[in-house]
Amino acid sequence: MSKNNVMIRVQNVVKHFGALKALDNVSLDVYDGEKLVIIGPSGSGKSTLLRALNRLETVDSGRIFVDGAQINDQQTDINKVREEIGMVFQSFNLFPHKTVLENVNLAQMVVRKRSRREATEISRALLKKVFISEKEDQYPSKLSGGQQQRVAIARALAMKPKVMLFDEPTSALDPETIGEVLDVMKNLALDGMTMIVVTHEMGFAREVADRVIFMDCGAILEEGPPEHFFTNPSQERTRLFLNQIL
Amino acid sequence: MAQVTDSKSPKTVIAVTDGSAIPTRRDLGLFTAWRVSFVGALLIVIALVGFKPDPYWEILKFLPDGILVTFQVTVMSILLALVIGLFTGLGRLSNNKIINGIASVYVEVVRGIPLLVQLFYIYFALGRIVNVPPLTSAVVAMAVCYGAYMGEIFRAGIESIHKGQREAARSLGMTSVQTMRYVILPQAVKTILPPIGNEFVALLKDSSLVSILAVSDLLRRGREFAAQSFTYFETYTMVALMYLIITLFLSKLISIMEERIGVEK
Repeated sequence: MSKNNVMIRVQNVVKHFGALKALDNVSLDVYDGEKLVIIGPSGSGKSTLLRALNRLETVDSGRIFVDGAQINDQQTDINKVREEIGMVFQSFNLFPHKTVLENVNLAQMVVRKRSRREATEISRALLKKVFISEKEDQYPSKLSGGQQQRVAIARALAMKPKVMLFDEPTSALDPETIGEVLDVMKNLALDGMTMIVVTHEMGFAREVADRVIFMDCGAILEEGPPEHFFTNPSQERTRLFLNQIL
Repeated sequence: MAQVTDSKSPKTVIAVTDGSAIPTRRDLGLFTAWRVSFVGALLIVIALVGFKPDPYWEILKFLPDGILVTFQVTVMSILLALVIGLFTGLGRLSNNKIINGIASVYVEVVRGIPLLVQLFYIYFALGRIVNVPPLTSAVVAMAVCYGAYMGEIFRAGIESIHKGQREAARSLGMTSVQTMRYVILPQAVKTILPPIGNEFVALLKDSSLVSILAVSDLLRRGREFAAQSFTYFETYTMVALMYLIITLFLSKLISIMEERIGVEK
């Protein structure tokens, strides 16, 4: 792994949901090109952390930088920063009133101001990359979950982001379609994309991750390369969690 | 009373008052009732005019100018009300406390004052400052009143769209205005359209109130004719039948339109 530039820097971030402490003084650096996998029980704050990285969640205190821009500063043009951060959701969130091609085209034309022709060219290349070219004129409701998620990945990639965030991308999928989405993600990793993935897919973590983070109760309990993580975790809490999930 | 339930979130129910029930094929009882009323009204008009041309034929010739004005008031009011309603709905959803407050107070105030009183108020209040023609006052008053109801329809329609849609659009770098325009509103239209159709028919009926502002709509034309000829019973019978035929026809038109664009009921 190239330990060159810091792509994302999280410093002492705290976030409450009412009385609940969702993020408890979290600090984290993610490097350019790194593949980081975040695991942990539900309610541990891993999705909240991910969503804070593009300000879908605001934080109470601390600082977050993505590619040098401070995310949680009101002065920052958040829309500009978000163009550089792709996000893939558990529930896909494709636009149901638009075809597959239009889904991938929309933000390119509206945000990046590309012409329809230029956008379509880029979209088609990406749809090919996620193995779903033949569905470009279909509406999302006609697609399986795995297909929808692959379109969602293409939609995010169309913005040419510097970082991709994945929020449990396979949790809502039927078991037989999980593999096709993970394959697309693995290809993306091979291309050198900086990726932060919240997931329960331990096989994926073991194979792709440069580093694994275990979160519980809003804090990072343990982090390390996957070989250390899955064979010899240092924390008892991590061991318990892995025993339950594996 | 019409209720529209969004299939995705059963919590969202848009309830709108006093439009006539819109018939669909699936609601057999209403569908039959619609046919009975519509065909019945037409037959009665034909029979009256045929068997007793004096005064019914004379009345029928006298009313179309009024029908035109009624349509004019209705269409202009509904268009203006849609614009007011969109901004009111967005205002009611705004996180900005001042904007939200203004929109909410507007809705509360307008809903708490009878339309007839609002008509008088705007006509005479505006009249003190500028000399506006009665038609303009009428349209403004109707639009201000219906804009408040439209605002609630827009708000509920926008709220019925899953928040993941907004998040997906925003995460792609779209601004809140772009998100609203390209992602949320096009989807909300399906939920919003049936109650708006209802409001249209309700507004057309309420437009008869503008006859007191010296606007020569259908009702006022009838009053003028009746006052000259002293045929009150006959004239108002025809006026009522005209309103009935128009609203039933429009209800039907709206339900066909909704079927075309695939509104789920």
